[in-house]
Amino acid sequence: MALQLSRREVDELRSSLDRAIYRTIGKSDNSLLSTVSSCLTNGYERRKFIDKISSHIDPKKASKLTDKVLALAQELVTSSKPQKRKHEPSDRDRDIKKTRHDDREKHEEEKRHDREEKEKKLGNGVEALPLPSIMPDGETVGSKMSVLSADRIKLMMANAQKEIEERKRALIAMKGDHKPGVNVAVAAAQQIKVQMQQNNAIPPPSVIKPVLYSKPAAVPVSQEELEKQRKIAELQARIQRKLAGGALSSAGGSGPAPLILDTEGRTIDTTGKRVQLTHVAPTLKANIRAKRREEFRAQLSGQVSSEPPADAGWMDSRVQLKPPTRTKRALRFHEPGKFRQMAERLRMKAQLEKLQNEISQIARKTGISSATKLALLAADTPDSDRVPDIEWWDSVILMTADERECKRKPDTDTRTGEQRVDACNTGDDDIIDNLNEDAITNLVEHPQQLRPPTEALKPTYMPVFLTKKERKKLRRQSRREAWKEEQEKVRLGLEAPPEPKLRISNLMRALGTEAVQDPTAIEAKVREQIAKRQKTHLEANKARALTKEQKREKVDRKIREDTSMGVHVSVYRVKDLFESASAKFKVEVNAQQLHMTGCVVLHRGCCVVVVEGGPKQRAKYKRLMLHRIKWEEDMVKDTEGNEVANSCQLVWEGVTKQRSFGEIKFKVLPTEKQARELFQKHGVEHYWDLAYSGAVLGSGVDDV
Amino acid sequence: MSDDEDIPVKKSKQIHYGSLEEQEKARLAALAAAAKEGVEETGGQDLGDIQISSEYMELEEEMSRDKKALLEEFERRRKARQLNVSTDDDEVRRSLRQLGEPVCLFGEGPAERRVRLRDLLSYLGEDAIHKKLEEEEARIERDRGREGTWYHEGPPELRDARLWIARYSLPRAKRRLNKAREELKLAGSVRAAAKQESQRRASAISTYCSQVGDSRPISFCRFSGDSKMLITSSWSGLSKIWSVPECTPLQVLKGHTCNVSAATFHPAATIPDHFLEKINAVKDSEEGQLAMDTSGDSTSVCSMASCAYDGTVHLWNFVSEAPIASLPGHSPSRVARAEFHPSGRFLATTVFDHSWRLWDLETAKEVLHQEGHAKPVYSVAFQGDGSLAATGGMDAFGRVWDIRTGRCVMFLEGHLGPVQGIDWAPAGHQLATAAADNQAKIWDLRRRAPLYSIPSHTHLLSDIRYQRSHGHFLLTASYDKSAKLWSNPAWHPLRTLSGHDNKVMSADISADNKYIVTCSYDRTFKLWAPELS
Repeated sequence: MALQLSRREVDELRSSLDRAIYRTIGKSDNSLLSTVSSCLTNGYERRKFIDKISSHIDPKKASKLTDKVLALAQELVTSSKPQKRKHEPSDRDRDIKKTRHDDREKHEEEKRHDREEKEKKLGNGVEALPLPSIMPDGETVGSKMSVLSADRIKLMMANAQKEIEERKRALIAMKGDHKPGVNVAVAAAQQIKVQMQQNNAIPPPSVIKPVLYSKPAAVPVSQEELEKQRKIAELQARIQRKLAGGALSSAGGSGPAPLILDTEGRTIDTTGKRVQLTHVAPTLKANIRAKRREEFRAQLSGQVSSEPPADAGWMDSRVQLKPPTRTKRALRFHEPGKFRQMAERLRMKAQLEKLQNEISQIARKTGISSATKLALLAADTPDSDRVPDIEWWDSVILMTADERECKRKPDTDTRTGEQRVDACNTGDDDIIDNLNEDAITNLVEHPQQLRPPTEALKPTYMPVFLTKKERKKLRRQSRREAWKEEQEKVRLGLEAPPEPKLRISNLMRALGTEAVQDPTAIEAKVREQIAKRQKTHLEANKARALTKEQKREKVDRKIREDTSMGVHVSVYRVKDLFESASAKFKVEVNAQQLHMTGCVVLHRGCCVVVVEGGPKQRAKYKRLMLHRIKWEEDMVKDTEGNEVANSCQLVWEGVTKQRSFGEIKFKVLPTEKQARELFQKHGVEHYWDLAYSGAVLGSGVDDV
Repeated sequence: MSDDEDIPVKKSKQIHYGSLEEQEKARLAALAAAAKEGVEETGGQDLGDIQISSEYMELEEEMSRDKKALLEEFERRRKARQLNVSTDDDEVRRSLRQLGEPVCLFGEGPAERRVRLRDLLSYLGEDAIHKKLEEEEARIERDRGREGTWYHEGPPELRDARLWIARYSLPRAKRRLNKAREELKLAGSVRAAAKQESQRRASAISTYCSQVGDSRPISFCRFSGDSKMLITSSWSGLSKIWSVPECTPLQVLKGHTCNVSAATFHPAATIPDHFLEKINAVKDSEEGQLAMDTSGDSTSVCSMASCAYDGTVHLWNFVSEAPIASLPGHSPSRVARAEFHPSGRFLATTVFDHSWRLWDLETAKEVLHQEGHAKPVYSVAFQGDGSLAATGGMDAFGRVWDIRTGRCVMFLEGHLGPVQGIDWAPAGHQLATAAADNQAKIWDLRRRAPLYSIPSHTHLLSDIRYQRSHGHFLLTASYDKSAKLWSNPAWHPLRTLSGHDNKVMSADISADNKYIVTCSYDRTFKLWAPELS
């Protein structure tokens, strides 16, 4: 539905657009009109159009207006179809031109070509007729355009054509041997034919005669131009002669120069001289291989071309023909026993499934199921297997080997202190003998008290709210004070006294005689004052109102919450979040809009949504997840492939010290391990553990 | 006088409305002459008749300066009017003192003082006081940071008690470690099988019975050491003893006048004979006609302790309905928990005055008054050896204390809400905390690090208990109306115990692993037992 109109067309439409706007919104609106016309020139789609317009008027009207405008535009376009069609190819050509910037010469040639074509289109078949006077179709071209500009168009076209002619001539003059990449039809329409062409016995078909652009004889041309033309013709003739007599090698046509090899396979030119070809040695293996292949092919074709075909007269020797070859198709046999193996595998699989089913049935009956499931989960870290000789907190009050040695009474014990300590701590000796009583004092420790993490640095006070009466009283007082101050200022001569406030009702009283003398003027004055008062009032209101940004900021501020004292986290488990695009959208966009961070992990059978934010945000999000999204409405497949209703559960909600995720992101993780690793990376693997174990153990845990 | 005056001025009869030039000229001349005379008087005459004075009064400037000053004054007054000054005279005085102004002038009343302060503030700017306050606060904060750890000398009994505890705990620790070593010698599969069996039993747990415990919410419940009795405490001020599993009321402890926050059994308390008789009697005669026989001799020792919101801590025995003793000194602060030391000789109480106390029950004396938490202390638990105690406070931190040296050996930082429950694993080197941030955390004392956090409930956690014999699973109770069982090293959910209509206030696992009890705000307590067919 995208319609692009030119500026002129839009101008043409302007009045009808204005009418349409007037009809839709009941008044004419210049800014709206300009928006609409800019939309038209930009060729916006309907929706974007409505978007643009709805900044001026309400969306309902906007859509109505858009429809009208588009209809108008459509009408215009359909009425000027031929003209439209004419524009399109030139556009396309311009596009093509854009893509080719590599070769300058080519580019120029292309340009010329373009111009030519345009010319043809514009001239509507009247080739290269530069003067508007002999261009009868000029009228028809611009007929659908505004009538006023028809003359101008003609003039412009004439000018353009003239210019083109000039340029062409200059080009041809500059390089005599330009390449003839131009339309044959155009060439055929030339007024001056190269005479040599007829002389040529067998002109190679692909060698296209260079095109000579010149003016028709009818056109009066200057002497100089004639001279030029003659020169060009001469030049062209020379080229033709050269081409006809010359070898193929000089033909810089579209094909590559044919490769001629002598009997020894060396490259030679047409005169039989050996030619050293420039070799670009490829370095990459793939390139080397490709080159070799090419060389081989070249060799083949060379051989082919070396033997002249029977009907050489009709064949272009440079056209490379592929000899028709048929690839050999070998027979392919299956390995013996392949299908038997496949069948075996299928059978095994079926059997295993059956066995598993049986086992699970039995397990369900006996109640081992959940235990095995647990064992399957078994991220069970092995117990710290090492048991220390003595706990470190106990060792503080025990004597070390040295102390023991110092205290040793002279007795018959032959063991060293170390041995005795060991004997006490782990052996049979009474450990109390080893107690270091000096380590125990009656000192009471007062450790440094740390500020609780949930307590703000500064106490927050409740704002004081006043009753309506109190508010009124305050307002009254402050206004009275302000008024008194004003009076004081006037009295002191700091400010000019305000001019008397005039109303229609007090006009006679305020300026009695004057009002009597010239009531009309006075009334006008009073009315002006009234209008001014109202204007200042409205302006003050407007100045006080929040700007768009401020409004948005305010809304934003209300949503934002301070999470420096703890982040509220919720973990949800959804049975399947893969399919439901709308739910996914809601999950993501709501989190973004509430400024929550988090993560969504999509894993078959257990999709986990983790969101972090403030308490209010969490509450809103909880409502979204548990009430607003109707999970049970869409059916999903469970692990056995049965269709069941989707569901979402709140797995956990609580408070943590800081956020562990950034902006909410979706992650598709096929294996359980990857999912856990993802959470582990963020230091919250317990969320996953809980959500996943709940999903695996199913209703056994979470039943009510 | 100048000679100009000699020129005769023609006086006409008509009123002349023309130029005043002449008059003006005359006036100026007079002025100049006057000035000249003045000059002549002071100094010599030099400039002849023409007197030029560069001095003149800038009336305009002067005026505008005055005006400006006036306007400024107005502005200041307007600002003063908008200032919020407290109407509280004390605060006004305080503010004045902070600003270094005289607090009170002679004959000045509160209203004048307030006006004076307002005036002052309008000169200094409104935030003068706030700035000062902030500086002060920053200084206090700095000082607090610098304060660090300090010690004071406790009573001499403290050292005796510590020595006693050391002598008690060291052999127990040795025994425990030996047992752990022996257990390690067993094959891994045997251990795993035992664990699996116990977890299987746990996951098959369901309601065994439910009993209305009181007319008000039940705040706490604990099994006795022999798993034959259950004590519940209620907000009605009563504590009750029930038989397990019949749930026959055995005794009512009347003594508290307000909400009882906790009640526990002495670790050595076993069911006395008269209770057994009572149970039998109830069984025999369904009508319940029975005569109480209270002829116990060994039952007169302290076998229960309870604490209440008004700071009373009572000790009880199985015979009398009234407390046999009470431990004074807590009032008016609330006592949140009371816990017996494994030896039974000491009792720890956690108090809302940011401290916890250790009482020697033999002498009924407070041997230790321990501070360290920045907010009320809520929960306490003794390690199985009796060497360590762990306390959790409303400041969201936990602390592990070595009772024998009196030092804080580990600081449990990580929760974000009051630590409401704390318990030691039977293995002795791990402990679990339950907090109001809906998480439970497991800590390792050997590594002095947190091991895992269990995001367990959707409301605050009120209690946490390990399985008593091996710690194969963990029980958490929460205000989300449910209790949950968790497998030990992997912390997977085993079972959700839901059935209460309101917050679960406390929960316990019996020592023989047969029963689990939960008590709730809905005034009931429930027994749970594995349902194995």
